[in-house]
Amino acid sequence: MRLYTICVYLFLYIPIGVIALFSFNAGRHASQLQGFSTKWYGKALNNPFVMDALETSLMVAFASALCASVFGTMAAVALQGIKGPVRAVFDLLIYVAVMIPGIVIGIATLIGLVTVFDQLNPLIAAIWPGGFEPPKLRMGMGSLIAAHTMFLMALVVIIVRARLAGMDRALTEASSDLYATPMGTFRQVTLPMIFPAILAGFLLSFTFSFDDFIIAFFVAGSETTLPIYVFSSIRRGVTPEINAIGTMVLGVSLLMLITAQLLLQRGGKKSR
Amino acid sequence: MENGGYVGGTNPAGKKVIAELRGVSKRFGDVLAASELNLSIGEGEFLSFLGPSGCGKTTALRMLAGFEAPSEGDVLLDGEVVNTLDAHHRPVNMVFQQYALFPHMTVAQNIGYGLRQRRPRLPRAQIAEKVGKALDVVQLGGFESRRIWEMSGGQQQRVALARAIINEPKLLLLDEPMAALDRKLRKEMQIELQDLQRQLGITFVLVTHDQEEALSMSDRICIMRDGRIVQIGSPQQLYDRPNSRYVADFVGTSNFFDGKISDRSGELATVALDNGMSVQGKPGADLSVGQEVCISVRPEQMKLHHRHAGVDVEVHNRIFLGEHTEYLVSHETLGDFLVLSPRQSELAEGPFNVGDKATVTWEPSAALILDRN
Repeated sequence: MRLYTICVYLFLYIPIGVIALFSFNAGRHASQLQGFSTKWYGKALNNPFVMDALETSLMVAFASALCASVFGTMAAVALQGIKGPVRAVFDLLIYVAVMIPGIVIGIATLIGLVTVFDQLNPLIAAIWPGGFEPPKLRMGMGSLIAAHTMFLMALVVIIVRARLAGMDRALTEASSDLYATPMGTFRQVTLPMIFPAILAGFLLSFTFSFDDFIIAFFVAGSETTLPIYVFSSIRRGVTPEINAIGTMVLGVSLLMLITAQLLLQRGGKKSR
Repeated sequence: MENGGYVGGTNPAGKKVIAELRGVSKRFGDVLAASELNLSIGEGEFLSFLGPSGCGKTTALRMLAGFEAPSEGDVLLDGEVVNTLDAHHRPVNMVFQQYALFPHMTVAQNIGYGLRQRRPRLPRAQIAEKVGKALDVVQLGGFESRRIWEMSGGQQQRVALARAIINEPKLLLLDEPMAALDRKLRKEMQIELQDLQRQLGITFVLVTHDQEEALSMSDRICIMRDGRIVQIGSPQQLYDRPNSRYVADFVGTSNFFDGKISDRSGELATVALDNGMSVQGKPGADLSVGQEVCISVRPEQMKLHHRHAGVDVEVHNRIFLGEHTEYLVSHETLGDFLVLSPRQSELAEGPFNVGDKATVTWEPSAALILDRN
């Protein structure tokens, strides 16, 4: 049993460890260690394609995590206020949204947006004043952010809901009893108390968006995110540069995940 | 329930009415949590709702606070109907059961919370000054910048109290405020609360299931059961003249003997007990001949004798309590009951030991005839 457990963990983590290890390889072959070097990191960071993709990824991750945090929190607070079957239906829909495979979200968003854009573009062109080139809705940064926000929102709702449910209802009642308006109560009591959860939701969302390949692959249009760049360059062979990029993404992701976890734990303890 | 003239649905004369419940009922789905509550609370009064959990006392308090709206009837504050007025518009403050202090704020921020909600805004210096004064009142001067979790249970309770009284509310509502304190601290806080109430002149409404707490602090007690008010009165009235077996049992200790009224003329009535004995007692409510009733005699109203005409009993247990001795005695058909014997009569009569035969007597006027419920 113990051996079996060890095997499972090795199977999970050895490939990751190998990527990290080979990212420091001095040689140019991905299968042969030839001394320690950080030159591939330098190379990756000086590659304009990599930096472009990184910029796109960061922008998408930041924007979608921000939107998801704001809308997710609003949804969570609203859901906390309703009861009965309506709430059960919404709860179910949210859990389903988290479980839906990325490929389904990707294809569905692609088809949905393309259909809508095809309908809207002639309309916009028709009402656009003459003499100017009418703007054309197409897949790109906007659709990427929208698609990511959609599935990340469900994640934020779940995290914030858990925190709200753990909060003593007497606290909001006490605030109201002490003459605070509902908005005042939200700003002065609810928000500070659920803030760690919102921040954790933001960081998790950021990580998920930053790492996402499947959804991005469908809806990115002409944009290239970092995972898409890695995927396309792997077709030309795995270089230590790719390993370096992978290791950096891993490092950033881990850091955010750990921060999020700490925030959730600390926030949970304080409310008791 | 309006019987005997001492249900006391109205406020004692001479006090201005600050809050009122008029035929108030509250339903949660199919559950009737409060039913036709009628009560007026006088200015500066210390009133307690007493009853077991689920009797509707907390619901009554929450309707005064504005957390629940009545399903029927009217809640009045200072003469105005406030049925659906939100809690944040009511000049009423509450001390919550678990205090509900804001964990992300300091002691001073917690106490100043109510003042900070005022529009137009109060100057900061004025808030700080009032917070300092409120802290002094609850004897926590210098604790301004402490965090809530650094405070003990008793200190947290004082913070909750200061947070409420700083707003000078018309009504201060206290929801089982002592429940989380240990016994010794509870005694201290009871005395402090009473002092505070006299000092500030604020009307206090307390909810509790602890009869001792209610008896020792309140001007009036409102006894509740299954969502209804059973009796309202001063602690003495409730103890001396309970209007039902329920009240006699809930307030203090009493011995009960079941029977039927056989004669009812003049001051006293005669009750034929279920075991065949016939005893006289004072009707505690409007009762008619043939009605199933019970007789209630307080343990301290009973006298224990060595040789005397009375109810023959055998001493089962003896607990020496200093100024009193508590005897558990047993009668062949009446069962076990308690007799509380003062030290002086003990000295005069000589001691009773476990296993001794003895007789018990009581004055007919000390035997209250009550409804069985």
